[in-house]
Amino acid sequence: MITRRSAVGLFAGTAIATTLGGHAYAADKVIKIGINFSLTGGDAESAARMRDGALMAIDEANAKGTVKGYKLEAVVLDDATATAGQYDPAQAATNARKFVSDKLVVGAVGPQMSGAGKAMAPILSQGGLAIITPASTNPDLTDPKFAAQYRPAGKPVYFRTVTTDAYQGPNMADFMATKLGVKAIYILDDQGAYGVGMADAFQKRIAEKGVKVLGRDQLDPKAADYSAILTKIKSMNADSLYYGGVGTAGVKLVKQSYDILPNIKKAGGDGLYGGDLLKGAGFPAMDGWYATIAAPHMTEDTKLSTWMAAFKKKYGAAPEDYSITSYDAATIIIECIRALAAAGKPVTREAVRDAIQVGKFKTLQGEITYDTNGDVNSKIVSVFQVKQDDKQPLDDVAAQFKYIGVAPQS
Amino acid sequence: MTATDLLVQQIINGVSLGAMYALIALGFTLVYGIMELINFSHFNVFMVGSYIALYVLEAFGISGQSTLMSGWPLVGVLVVALLVAMVGCGFLGVVIERLSLRPLRGVKGPSAMITTIGVSYILFNLVLLFLGTDTKNYPNPLPPLTFAIGGAVLRLREILIWVISLALMAGLYVFTRRSKMGKAMRATAQDPDAARMMGVEVDRVIMTAFFLGSALAGAGGMIFGLYYNFTSFVIGYSAGLRAFTAAVLGGIGNVPGAMLGGMIIGLIETLSGQVVAVRWTDVIIFSLLVLVLVFRPAGLLGRVAPNKS
Repeated sequence: MITRRSAVGLFAGTAIATTLGGHAYAADKVIKIGINFSLTGGDAESAARMRDGALMAIDEANAKGTVKGYKLEAVVLDDATATAGQYDPAQAATNARKFVSDKLVVGAVGPQMSGAGKAMAPILSQGGLAIITPASTNPDLTDPKFAAQYRPAGKPVYFRTVTTDAYQGPNMADFMATKLGVKAIYILDDQGAYGVGMADAFQKRIAEKGVKVLGRDQLDPKAADYSAILTKIKSMNADSLYYGGVGTAGVKLVKQSYDILPNIKKAGGDGLYGGDLLKGAGFPAMDGWYATIAAPHMTEDTKLSTWMAAFKKKYGAAPEDYSITSYDAATIIIECIRALAAAGKPVTREAVRDAIQVGKFKTLQGEITYDTNGDVNSKIVSVFQVKQDDKQPLDDVAAQFKYIGVAPQS
Repeated sequence: MTATDLLVQQIINGVSLGAMYALIALGFTLVYGIMELINFSHFNVFMVGSYIALYVLEAFGISGQSTLMSGWPLVGVLVVALLVAMVGCGFLGVVIERLSLRPLRGVKGPSAMITTIGVSYILFNLVLLFLGTDTKNYPNPLPPLTFAIGGAVLRLREILIWVISLALMAGLYVFTRRSKMGKAMRATAQDPDAARMMGVEVDRVIMTAFFLGSALAGAGGMIFGLYYNFTSFVIGYSAGLRAFTAAVLGGIGNVPGAMLGGMIIGLIETLSGQVVAVRWTDVIIFSLLVLVLVFRPAGLLGRVAPNKS
């Protein structure tokens, strides 16, 4: 007997069944792309822009049906922890294990930080999972000298859409010595894998260029007060300061060096490029700082203006250059999956990795090809200087970081 | 810059740092003196204080590098922000004591201390969840006034730190020496049972200690923000750890000891950065702590506590 209540129940049941049925016909096979950035702490702002770049590529591919018969799904993980206040290598290793243990993940985008990359690479290598980083630039990760450490299983799995600090540091040293004419420099780093490597590479080249290196010290990213070291640098009459490191210590360094060393030339690498610094350190402290990125400068390219507008509309914030390298990284993985699916081959991790290694990829930054270690063949380092533009939002990276040019390479 | 100027400058840096450590250290010492409890939630009460003051300042329209106000209105706003941060943190301290520590009163062993570690993480994660993970740009409303001492520079913000810290420490000292509640606090510290028999309300004394200690941490939080021009959910850890070290170095439970310890740690931090290298600062500070505790287990000004059993 059908009572009123059971009728409602039956109706609801039918409705649910219909909805489920509606989806069932489009049940493409799901395939996953891992995304891993440092979404908590001192570098969260740039991390979010990179994550959005990768997500945008995946969403577009799904909307256009780029990969026939498959639905792409992003698995977004955060390798930063609250206790570290920035990226945490232990968390990065955990995330790498999560990717590897999920059989549907065939490729990954990330990480942002070389310190995280160093923890992830060996695990990804054992799992045969390729990752493409849009930002981590430490050269050790792809250096064959460290192959036993970072690719124990043999084949390279750590690819990039940026070049490395083997170019970023020295090229900036050339720029500072020849273009800025610095004579006496003090060098700092933030004790992280990226920061130390960057400062080492920079220091070696700038000394070769005949610039006097007054000293080298390391900032504790957890400490608040850098006045001791900055006062020391002031007393040495340095005319310039170079910082290898990321935003967590960077924000405090920028703030305090503005008070103590207002008139010297100050520069850093891609760890200082981005919205975290503009928001956290702000103006006038950020004004005048030089920063580099290990990629061509693209956000002012008129060919990309529609892409830029679409990004801004979708995520409510202007993209950074590393949003583009991140979009490119996801594009490369999607293209490999597409080609495999179109050729009727099984989409496996091994197949995706091999496809990345040998492919020629059309990306927003131009054609990308890889050498035998997983590094991009183009080695462009772009230099920026922060100059306050009051008419634009003060945390708009494209507006506040003025592009100066490609760093010279000797 | 001559060597003397440099030394003067580093001493100015160190004393400012030390004053802030001392303010936080007082909170550890007050509570320990009375309950023999190391209150680790204090780390993050300090952090919450810097956020409270930040939002009060922003409510008055002071944000970023704006110099909207000057003169007395600015002083007024700063005083209001300081008071709100202190009272807010004071109540936070009282709530922490009432909810998480009073039920454990009389429980032997480290459970109360472990609880404070838990509370510390709760505060930390609440701020992380609701206020965001980014480094906040703290307003810098102070006029860029500087005084030259030879080649060294003394900024208005350093003077502000010293004045506020000295005033608060002097106030606390007078309070514990002169007021009735201060006397009750000292009596409870010496012997809680005897104090209770003499009619001291021990629960109220403990609550007052938590209020005062946390209020000082709140003041420290605001000073931190104004001095460094940033705050973040992680600031509690390193400042709190150094302040705790200062309290132990000076003799935990001893009010002048906390001030002395704070100054010593602040000066060591800047001078070792100058003479050795900042990467060795922690090694130097904690080696010194170990050395002091080997020769004076109760700290510099502390006396070995009488056996209370």
